[in-house]
Amino acid sequence: MSAPTAQPPSGDSADPAVDAVFAALADPTRRHLVELLAAAPGATATGLAATLPISRQAVAKHLATLDQAGLVHSRRNGRELRFELEPRPLTDAAAWIAAVGGEWDGRLERLRQLLER
Amino acid sequence: MGCVSTLAHTVERSVLLAAPAQRVWDALTDASLLSEWLADEVQLEPWEGGEVVCRDEEGEERRGEVRLVEEAERIAFDWWREGEAPSRVELVIDAVGNETRVTVIESGAWPAASPTPALLAATWGARLRTLALALGRLVLA
Repeated sequence: MSAPTAQPPSGDSADPAVDAVFAALADPTRRHLVELLAAAPGATATGLAATLPISRQAVAKHLATLDQAGLVHSRRNGRELRFELEPRPLTDAAAWIAAVGGEWDGRLERLRQLLER
Repeated sequence: MGCVSTLAHTVERSVLLAAPAQRVWDALTDASLLSEWLADEVQLEPWEGGEVVCRDEEGEERRGEVRLVEEAERIAFDWWREGEAPSRVELVIDAVGNETRVTVIESGAWPAASPTPALLAATWGARLRTLALALGRLVLA
């Protein structure tokens, strides 16, 4: 039983890697890129730029930021560099949000039944 | 995105109850009433630093500590499953006409089994809402 010494969640992250994830996703263009990569794994910077009102160079810069944050990875295919989403941290987070929300839905329904019966 | 730092990684739910605020407050702070809805067996000392123990019938146990009590307005506690990081639960009461709204906000840590040590190592606060928003669209959609 080590948990009582654990500190409650605070507003600051002490982990630079985590800061990089949040900073990466704070930018709407990068969130859009993540969405595009979710829909089209293996896209190139050129292909992504074609659907965005920004240059290929700007896309490449955003992809580098996402890469540094661990949210995408790239692989070389001949002369092309193809990008894929690294969804694991996102999937874990989504599962947490769904599970905790579902638990509270159940508890609050029981609270309603307790108080309104 | 200048406001990102004011946001938190949270789950929020609310329910509007046809009951007076004092009765709702009792249901949030009286262990025998809490055992009717929060978990199958609840011990909760409704003062700051008070102990929290919740068990369900499958035997799962959470322990916790009360962090904040504002009489008839809000109570907050941290709780955790053994071996996992704590999450913060805040229950807030608002009178709405003849009814009472209860809002719950849980801000927490990822499951201990998470394969992402960098995220696990984090303390959860501000900028995680950004992640949650991204997730809601990307993964749950």
